Amino acid sequence: MIFARGSLVFLGIAACSTVVSAAKDESSRPRGVGPEFAKFYKDTTTFTCISHPAIKVPFSAVNDDYCDCPDGSDEPGTSACSYFSHHSPQSVADRPGNSDLELTSALPGFYCKNKGHRPSYIPFQRVNDGICDYELCCDGSDEWARVGGTKCEDRCKEIGKEWRKQEEKRQKSMTAALKKKKEILVDAGRRQKEVEDDIMRLETELEAQEIKVKSLEADLEEVQKQEQTKVVRGKKKGKTNVLAELAKGRVEELRNALVEVRGERDEARARVKELEDILSKFKVEYNPNFNDEGVKRAVRSWEGYAAREATDGRGANAARDRDLNEISKPDSETSGIDWVQWESEEDTCESAIYQLAAYLPPSLVNFIEQKVLAIKGFLENNNILPKKDEDHSSESKAVTEARDALKSVENTRDNIKSQLKKHRSDLETDYGTASIFRALKGVCISKDSGEYTYEHCFLDRTKQNSKKGGLSVQMGKFVRIGSVTVDEVKETSEIIPVQKTSLEYANGQTCWNGPARSTTVILECGEENEIQKVMEDEKCVYSMIVTTPAVCPGGEAEGNVAPRQKDEL
Amino acid sequence: MAKSRLASIRWTLLLSLVILLGCLVVPGLTVKHENFKKCSQSGFCKRNRAFADDVSAKGSSWSSPYELDPSSIEFKDGKLQGTILKTVSANEKVRLPLVVSFLESGVARVVIDEEKRLKGDIEIRHNSRARKERYNEAEKWALVGGLELSKSASLNPDTETGFTKVLYGPDKKFQAVIHHAPFNVEFQMDGHTHVQFNNKGYMNMEHWRPKVDGDTEEDQSTWWEETFGGNTDSKPRGPESVGLDITFPGYAHVFGIPEHADALSLRETRGGSGNHEEPYRMHNSDVFEYELNSPMTLYGSIPFMQAHRKDSTVGVFWLNAAETWVDIVKSTASANPLSLGVGGKTTTQSHWFSESGQIDVFVFLGPTPQDISKTYGELTGYTQLPQHFAIAYHQCRWNYVTDEDVKEVDVKFDRYQIPYDVIWLDIEYLDDRQYFTWDPLTFPNPKGMEEQLDASDRKLVVIIDPHIKDKDGYWVVKEMLNKDLATKNKDGEVYEGWCWPGASHWVDCFNPEAIKWWTSLFKYDRFKGTLPNVFIWNDMNEPSVFNGPETTMPKDNLHYGNWEHRDIHNVHGITLVNATYDALLERKKGEIRRPFILTRSYYAGAQRMSAMWTGDNQATWEHLAISLPMVLNNGISGFPFAGADVGGFFHNPSKELLTRWYQAGIWYPFFRAHAHIDTRRREPYLISDPYRAIISQAIRLRYQLLPAWYTAFHEASVNGTPIVRPQYYVHPSDEQGFAIDDQLYLGATGLLTKPVVSEGATTADVYIADGEKYYDYFDYTIYQAQKVPLLMQGGHIIPRKDRPRRSSGLMKWDPFTLVITLDKNGEAEGTLYVDDGETFDYQRGAYIHRRFHFQASTLSSEDLGTKGPKTAEYLKTMAGVRVEKMIVIDPPKEWQEKKSATVIEEGTRTASTVSVEYFSQTGGKAPYVVVKNPNVGIGKTWKIEF
Repeated sequence: MIFARGSLVFLGIAACSTVVSAAKDESSRPRGVGPEFAKFYKDTTTFTCISHPAIKVPFSAVNDDYCDCPDGSDEPGTSACSYFSHHSPQSVADRPGNSDLELTSALPGFYCKNKGHRPSYIPFQRVNDGICDYELCCDGSDEWARVGGTKCEDRCKEIGKEWRKQEEKRQKSMTAALKKKKEILVDAGRRQKEVEDDIMRLETELEAQEIKVKSLEADLEEVQKQEQTKVVRGKKKGKTNVLAELAKGRVEELRNALVEVRGERDEARARVKELEDILSKFKVEYNPNFNDEGVKRAVRSWEGYAAREATDGRGANAARDRDLNEISKPDSETSGIDWVQWESEEDTCESAIYQLAAYLPPSLVNFIEQKVLAIKGFLENNNILPKKDEDHSSESKAVTEARDALKSVENTRDNIKSQLKKHRSDLETDYGTASIFRALKGVCISKDSGEYTYEHCFLDRTKQNSKKGGLSVQMGKFVRIGSVTVDEVKETSEIIPVQKTSLEYANGQTCWNGPARSTTVILECGEENEIQKVMEDEKCVYSMIVTTPAVCPGGEAEGNVAPRQKDEL
Repeated sequence: MAKSRLASIRWTLLLSLVILLGCLVVPGLTVKHENFKKCSQSGFCKRNRAFADDVSAKGSSWSSPYELDPSSIEFKDGKLQGTILKTVSANEKVRLPLVVSFLESGVARVVIDEEKRLKGDIEIRHNSRARKERYNEAEKWALVGGLELSKSASLNPDTETGFTKVLYGPDKKFQAVIHHAPFNVEFQMDGHTHVQFNNKGYMNMEHWRPKVDGDTEEDQSTWWEETFGGNTDSKPRGPESVGLDITFPGYAHVFGIPEHADALSLRETRGGSGNHEEPYRMHNSDVFEYELNSPMTLYGSIPFMQAHRKDSTVGVFWLNAAETWVDIVKSTASANPLSLGVGGKTTTQSHWFSESGQIDVFVFLGPTPQDISKTYGELTGYTQLPQHFAIAYHQCRWNYVTDEDVKEVDVKFDRYQIPYDVIWLDIEYLDDRQYFTWDPLTFPNPKGMEEQLDASDRKLVVIIDPHIKDKDGYWVVKEMLNKDLATKNKDGEVYEGWCWPGASHWVDCFNPEAIKWWTSLFKYDRFKGTLPNVFIWNDMNEPSVFNGPETTMPKDNLHYGNWEHRDIHNVHGITLVNATYDALLERKKGEIRRPFILTRSYYAGAQRMSAMWTGDNQATWEHLAISLPMVLNNGISGFPFAGADVGGFFHNPSKELLTRWYQAGIWYPFFRAHAHIDTRRREPYLISDPYRAIISQAIRLRYQLLPAWYTAFHEASVNGTPIVRPQYYVHPSDEQGFAIDDQLYLGATGLLTKPVVSEGATTADVYIADGEKYYDYFDYTIYQAQKVPLLMQGGHIIPRKDRPRRSSGLMKWDPFTLVITLDKNGEAEGTLYVDDGETFDYQRGAYIHRRFHFQASTLSSEDLGTKGPKTAEYLKTMAGVRVEKMIVIDPPKEWQEKKSATVIEEGTRTASTVSVEYFSQTGGKAPYVVVKNPNVGIGKTWKIEF
């Protein structure tokens, strides 16, 4: 290819610098060439396209602001080949005579020397676009053509200094993070050990309790046997007293039920109130413009409902509540029934039978007694008379005591069993590499972001609290530790997929017209446990970027403990 | 080439995969019909349709009761005046003043009013303060010029009794034939009738009458009061509609009267297979989830209709701002057996009626589509030459939730090297939905955000709507009420309705004081947190009122000057835009910039101030498809700066749909992606490859062609031509192509594209009208009716900028590439317009306007500009901008050996040579020549001899 003679007017600057660079050898590679590519630009007569050695151009075509090589290597210092990317529309004339070639750049970008700072590559599309891209090119060399009067002074000294300061800080922070991670590992190991120890302890206790249970079961059986030989008779209480006692129990039971039901009613009432408030707010705030039939129907029904409420005049009735308060009070001499009086009342009727019995032959007494019991049984069976609690009222103290003792030990045993189960399943749970998240479980961190404060409790839940008032909203309950692939895009536009540990939370509060909220917490290495950012990827599906020392690389091997892996269990 | 074939196969495979996965397409929801009136629910529509039916039924026994009193006729200085008498009964005739103006541009205007109302000789019910006149100020908002009366128009002396004939137009080729009794008018060109008024006798002017209680002969159920959806219209002036039939004899196609989600070629509206049952309605409305292929009204209206037949285009503009319906019926006369091969001629008859106001109609006789664009633009104004950024890519979403969010999106675009120019904020940026405020929690630092955007020459657009929240302590509402600048209800009290902020009042931009106040709100010290790179989006300006009849204001509301809302409804939207335009012109003393405003509601004239989009569409293939005729229709209707939400507003598009939508969206003059708040994030970098790469390529293709786009915008700003053009507009003689509305041409560049708008499709059949060569844009394959979506017609020179940048502003200094596609005769031409893309300096000569011409082996650049005081200075700043490359497609064979060409540039003493290389191709692909770095200035006159 021949370089046009008459075209030097606008290329003066480029051409000159090229010549100068050539003369100064090493330290003066052509503009924009990084040291690792210097070898390709040594020959100052002919340039060989880097990825296509068959294609040669005169060296004057290097940095002449016209793209010759199908890999852009002849323009390391201009934007002439910046369209060499699969993101650009390309036509055959962009690769003349080589229409089969895939146009990819042989160079990573324009090399900024950045003396006083770190050298770096800036994308070709930013060369001579009139913007000083100091974050990549602190020496301003990317704007050498000064288009439209752009002038970028060299700021490497200050930027480099600031960067080194930051870098040092970062390094320190990383060291601190690693230290923290080790502490976390130790803590995690300790916690795991605790669980394991607990299991051992509980296993032993369980054995002991099992033995106790067996022995108490035997005791109970023995006592019961003895009791059965005793006659039913011999109760010291008369019928009235029994009835009084029964009635008292019954009344007590009903009163408790009443109190309980009333509590439930109040709770329901509060919820109705809350719902009504939500609905009246909804009625005011909904957007009739969206003409959602469902919404409109809901609003209409609500209006009907509200109107009915108003006329019914229902709601809290003070008088009734006062009555209920009265009824709910425990019985005493001053309120309700004075049971003491009834319990001490002399038998009248039933005792009369026994009094009478003194004058009758024993067989008849037996007969009458059996008949009475039969009739009573009949009445009881037909729910006419309440059944007596056998255990309670007819059981001897000894049996009760034996039974209670057994029950208590059984409870203790069951309790230990369930604790054991919990601990064992906890040990089975995935707490990440070296079980590190064991130490973070339940640790809560929060962050203000816009109109919400977000909260993340490790391995527990995520939450959103509105600053404008209103309820806090569950954004998900912990499900599992997982991983996600995130595109890390370098400033030079290099896209690197990176795998990161994530904590997944699901089944949070359901969105109106949407799914149950869920959150993916993406973990990044950092000195502190901190929420960096919260995003709503789509309706009610959130992701949170959280830093924690726990995912910083390294530290596991040096940890003082050797937490057991799951498969070692 | 093999490579790109391979690529396309790979793409095909991917697409089939997508199809398999894509079975979960959300079915498009449709509009709630019960919220909007059918013709039968609109009193005057029902009456006018019934009137037309009655007239038709009576046939020849019917005679229109309107006659022009011959003794009243006066003709002077291009203006004919007279009185039409409407016979109501044997002894009652209503006097209707008629004015027919013949304009210098060749347009005729017919205005009919009502004398009693002009004189105020009527009584208005309910003690309403409403004006007595028929509304006559629509032109104040819609028209800006072109009203000079023709000096040459004259009465035709050769006229039969009962007629008045006026000769007018260029070379007096046009003639208006006015028949006195019954009154009707024929507009003729070269002796043939092209447009007829009242030919069918549907003319109707419901004159004022007092309400008489008791039984009447006529059905008065819709005269005095109308109730719809729980809202009652008090109609203080009773029935007052106007109607007229307008016939286009021999014209089979009519276009225009946007906005409707329908085909470009309008359908018949009186039922029958493939036809509509309802008339096309124009009553600007916020229609939720609008349906497709429907004559239902949408957000904007331009009552401008064009009729087209082989080699002739004519048009009518119905200047009336009230609710308007148009019935369309076509009839085909049986073929003449004597005229071999010629089918029967189809005639299109339209019937227009509006609820109130005057009859005020402009008639355009063409005969070319360009003539119509030009003359219509003289009246209503041309498209504003936008700031350059406005024609680049816009990234929108309801909502970017924080200022940090915006900044992150900005960074991501750069990281993925996808260019964009503008990011948008929907209503969530506001503090409690109060305009001119920022949410202190989510947007604590708007200026910081704007500064970051400005660092790469990017802009921010924020939404500002006309409803002002009624809230204690909100300074804007307080000022508006104190100054008495809000719209009133029928009783003259400040009107309150519901919109986004809840209870709100509406600024009444009909009031000059309101415009002044509105303008003050945008000053940087009033709208705190804004910098010069902030621009405005006017939404909900139909106006949308959530609790109003048909989601808008009651018709008996009162505006400035006591005009009823009924009278002005369709211009309401542009009064807000007009005020915002004034506001943005000069936000700081001395800083005069071209405003950028996006509007949802519009009327004729909106093009002078704003861009529009087709409102809340849906992420379906059908919505993607309909966007093309909608955008094309806006283009021919004088408002070409139009687009649809890329990706679809409601619901989530599949990857394939989103990709296809970008590939289509780059051809919208207004290119913006937007999404509903409930959708997944879909910024183009979020989608995985290969989609990301394909979308990036599409966006970069738009950027590469920005010089051509800007040139097309410039042409629109001076000639009114559409920026993207439908088939009939470019090939007005090719009858086969008249109804084609799914492919389009970019300006005059010869670029023809047919976006793929159906799922799974990998090719599209492009209709080619002429015998010209068409070259594939990417590989130069020569087609004559083949299958590819982007073609270059032979005979054009397309200016491009090939270097991708972060934003269009950063391409300012980049060199141009010229693509020269030779036609059958080995010739080509094209134009380029360049200016600073920001200020009004171009009005003082600060621009470059070139004509490139290739003929007889010479490519030349000639100046089309006119020098002004700022020309020299501008050319100096542009001196370094050159042409870096020229590609000549399909050059003469003898160029094969050519190695150089001669360059002669103005101001250089000697000619220079430039290296030229010829590349042959195989497989039906055209050879091409690359001119390497000819190094000629873009603003210079030069010649290259090959």
